[in-house]
Amino acid sequence: MSGYGDIALSFQDVTFTYPDGDRPALADVRVDIPEGGFVLALGATGAGKSTFLRSANGLVPHFTGGTFAGRVFVAGRDTLANPPRRLADVVAFVPQDAGASFVLDGVEDEIAYGMENLGVEPAHMRRRVEEMLDLLDIAPLRHRSLRRLSGGERQRVAIAAALAAGPRILVLDEPTSQLDPQGAEHVMAALQRLVHDHGMTVLLAEHRLERVVGWVDGAVGFREGHATVGTPREVIRTLALGPPVSRLGRMVGWDPVPLTVRDARAAARAHGLIRPVTTADAVGDALAVLRGVDVQHEELGEVLPALRDASFTLSEGEIVAVMGRNGAGKTTLLRTIAGVLSPHRGEVQVRGHTPQPGTDVGLCPQEPESVLFNDSVAGEVRATLRARHVPDADAPWLDLLGIAHLATRHPRELSAGQRLLVATAAIAATEAPVILLDEPSRGLDPDSKAHLIRFLRAHAVNGGGAMFATHDVELAAAVATRVIMLAGGEIIADGTPADVLGDSQVFAPQMTRVFGPGWLTPEQVAEAMA
Amino acid sequence: MASGSFRTADGGTMSFALRVPRSASSTASAAADERTAIHPGAWMAWATLGGIVAFTTTNPFYLLVLWAIAWFVFTQQRVPGPAARSFRVFLIAGLLAIVVRTALVFFGTFNAANVAHFAIEGLRLATILVIFGTFNAVTDPFGVVRLAPRRFHEPALAAALALSIAPRTVACLQRVREAQQLRGIPTRGARALPALAIPVLEAGMEEALVLAESMDSRGHGRGRRSRYRPQSWNAAAWTIALSAFVAAVMFWIASSRGLGDLQPGTDPLHWPTVNVLMLAAEALLVVPGFLPRQGSARR
Amino acid sequence: MNGLGARLRIPLLVFTNVAGLLAFVWPFALPALVHPGVDHRMDSGLILVVLLGGLGGLLFTELGRGGLGPKTVALIGVLGATMVALRLPGFVAGFNAFFIVVLVAGNSFGPGFGFLLGTVGMFASGLLIGGLGPWLPFEMVAVGWLGAGAGFLPGTGTRWPVRIGALSIYGVLGGYLYGAVMNLWAWPFLTTGSALAWDPSAAALQNLRHYATYYAATSFAWDTFRAVGDAVMVVTLGRPLLACLDRAARRMRLDVRDARPAPPVDYSPARTPA
Repeated sequence: MSGYGDIALSFQDVTFTYPDGDRPALADVRVDIPEGGFVLALGATGAGKSTFLRSANGLVPHFTGGTFAGRVFVAGRDTLANPPRRLADVVAFVPQDAGASFVLDGVEDEIAYGMENLGVEPAHMRRRVEEMLDLLDIAPLRHRSLRRLSGGERQRVAIAAALAAGPRILVLDEPTSQLDPQGAEHVMAALQRLVHDHGMTVLLAEHRLERVVGWVDGAVGFREGHATVGTPREVIRTLALGPPVSRLGRMVGWDPVPLTVRDARAAARAHGLIRPVTTADAVGDALAVLRGVDVQHEELGEVLPALRDASFTLSEGEIVAVMGRNGAGKTTLLRTIAGVLSPHRGEVQVRGHTPQPGTDVGLCPQEPESVLFNDSVAGEVRATLRARHVPDADAPWLDLLGIAHLATRHPRELSAGQRLLVATAAIAATEAPVILLDEPSRGLDPDSKAHLIRFLRAHAVNGGGAMFATHDVELAAAVATRVIMLAGGEIIADGTPADVLGDSQVFAPQMTRVFGPGWLTPEQVAEAMA
Repeated sequence: MASGSFRTADGGTMSFALRVPRSASSTASAAADERTAIHPGAWMAWATLGGIVAFTTTNPFYLLVLWAIAWFVFTQQRVPGPAARSFRVFLIAGLLAIVVRTALVFFGTFNAANVAHFAIEGLRLATILVIFGTFNAVTDPFGVVRLAPRRFHEPALAAALALSIAPRTVACLQRVREAQQLRGIPTRGARALPALAIPVLEAGMEEALVLAESMDSRGHGRGRRSRYRPQSWNAAAWTIALSAFVAAVMFWIASSRGLGDLQPGTDPLHWPTVNVLMLAAEALLVVPGFLPRQGSARR
Repeated sequence: MNGLGARLRIPLLVFTNVAGLLAFVWPFALPALVHPGVDHRMDSGLILVVLLGGLGGLLFTELGRGGLGPKTVALIGVLGATMVALRLPGFVAGFNAFFIVVLVAGNSFGPGFGFLLGTVGMFASGLLIGGLGPWLPFEMVAVGWLGAGAGFLPGTGTRWPVRIGALSIYGVLGGYLYGAVMNLWAWPFLTTGSALAWDPSAAALQNLRHYATYYAATSFAWDTFRAVGDAVMVVTLGRPLLACLDRAARRMRLDVRDARPAPPVDYSPARTPA
């Protein structure tokens, strides 16, 4: 038992199947995570990483049901015998949507909630709250309502609330998925401080490996429920996953496969690629036109400019990525084009007139679930068509988005990526020439992403125009024919992806960072190298 | 001690009181923000006892004095937020009560004495409404929930959750309505209800599951419980509760002994008299209006 | 959801509800119980206060007992939030859209849950819209009963037309009953000898007659909006809402199976990342 104190989390031959699952979500998982480890769980959507995280504090199986074999020990406690509440003093869990997990209304109260449950003595509780406020650098937020925090602030408050009761193990499910690049950096830096300065054990899952792979020191990879354990480099190689630089490395046969832009630069030094010639694609007639548009938001009686003097044109055949910090005005721009926000100054025209929501423009919102209300996937498309009084004899959208095989399924039982595709199909069925998508890359797995890209291209080829707001520079690099950049409600850049992204410190895709402006996707670089 | 007030963006008045910390400590910055709200229990006592005072009398003079007291306390102590608007709502409801009650005279004998009697009964009900209108406008709803004793923790927590989630529900409803418009689905009329209601309810059910997981992960239901920074029952709270108690006892005694012209008859119709001692007792209810203004707990 | 309902202990639930009933019917019962011919006007105030205090205490004692668990608390929080959100904008005369939430949730999750949701939801919405007052305990109990009653109607597993039909008829009756019961808290404030006033010295039957006149005169039309509105909501929305709640109930009712006995404790051979 001598080495016992060194193991924070021990998974012993864990096999787990969800109540309605046809195969195990975790299969013979045998992993030990040492104290003070900073470990990344990775894998495609549905491969088992989320199940793995949730079994670390007993949410699996206590909140899911199902068949559980093997044992998980958290600081020596069996999770099967101890529901999450009885592990709260040793392991903390921060779910993906931190905002939805808040129980109270104020920052301080939320941080104290876990300690209240454990019966921590009031004086001690008071001190701990102060410590947590300092540790996560959120003291200025102490009296704020949780409702008024930004995404990054929410995430840090959630971490403080999870840690206040004093657990030594912290588990986070995709902590940066809703943050812009700067917000993500803040959170990762805070986590590193916890590991390095306070000896905390941190286990997290993340989709966008490029954001986290440089920070962690161990990895557990998942494929169809089976776990691979090792350094991030080993695991990424075994699973053939990774950020764009890794994908390029595999395509052109670099060994070792690079994980970071820095690795890739070293490997790329031998290949002196010159800037590719980029020309703007030929475009058709104008679909949507904005001229000198100002839009204002009113919050608590205060008028805040949300869009300032915005002018631009979306033409047939274009796919435009809208980028910028959280709060830069991306969603406002989309809603203005859609005709649900009316400009205080300037004019908005789609097909030569004021846009009619639902006929000229269709918009898939940030939460695609907002539009789903039928009990089958096909029913969602039918509902849109029925509203237009159109027979649904040959609706091509399910095929186009690769979800025809899900036609009879309940939309709520699908994965997040599939639900986005269903919502997109329901909106495409309006046959509006302008299709807008707000943050389509959230929770999107590679499969769904490929279907979405195919749909956008088909829509553009058929004479439509599409715009999407995103933080995902790699998605923009892969599909956009044009990029506009917003800051403080103003359009500060508008041009080809090569020009706009190539010019940016923050929003440059990895290929640009390695090979210089003009290089956007691994496929493009690999082709040039061949 | 420095204090003052300023107008907030939403038209309310926010007051602040800065207290110099007794000793310089690491929490010096926290001291400036210390919760300066009056204990909600004290307000509850004030409203209940004030309601009893109103209940014991049908003398319109005493009742109208209570209106003035309620209005003064409201202007001095109201907290920002939607509940502050309730004073006006209660005022309107009170006036409505007087009108409706007076109209009921048509079910009996119509004469001056009866009209006066019904109107005064309406006035008494309206006075109770106005006192509670003030109560609602001067207490922070979360503060009331926090009053729940430890063993009632769970229903109180559910109520607090309902309060903090409600704005999100409203936002969700607006989002869904807009999203359905942008998909060409009608959002008006009874036929449109499922397209609006289902996504909101589905989102709510998912939220409930995330919340339950979060609560369990943070030790909810372990059986032990302590409380973070409970609101203290301080001198202000004692002052409010005791002065209101004295007022209520005075009126109760006077009313059961038939003193102070608390129940003047209306047949024959005459002007009721007012007793100075009873007025003085009633004036005790105005005490909270002279206490330092409450700070705002949360931004 | 039987697991949730069963946690509420039946005897105390009965006790609470009897107390609630007394709070409503004392104007009828009181005159018969005490010496006739005495003016009970002052007693009535005292009784109201005592009953309200007792009812509030009992109600919360009941709700706080036994441990509801995070799932029930979270569900009540979320559904209560919906009631709060609908309360202000959702009304047309006596009708209010939040009644549909109590009706379907009570029907789907059972009587215990329906009672809890009704009381907590009314309390929270009373707090937010600034509706705290002596009438609040009455509203809480009345809506709690409405939710509990919906839980006794045919539920999951019944054919849809039967389930929706029963719930919509219940909605109409409940709409009127809620109004009749809610008028009782302020009725005794009217104490003059007219054909619709409370008479502290009269027999229960006569007071009941007076009350019926009073109700017909002041509230019947108003309450018709509620009765009809409830039925319309149940018919248009009942089925999809119930289906959604039934699915949530299924997801929250868990069944963990331990497939293998625990292996011997052995920490050495597992691989450790990095």
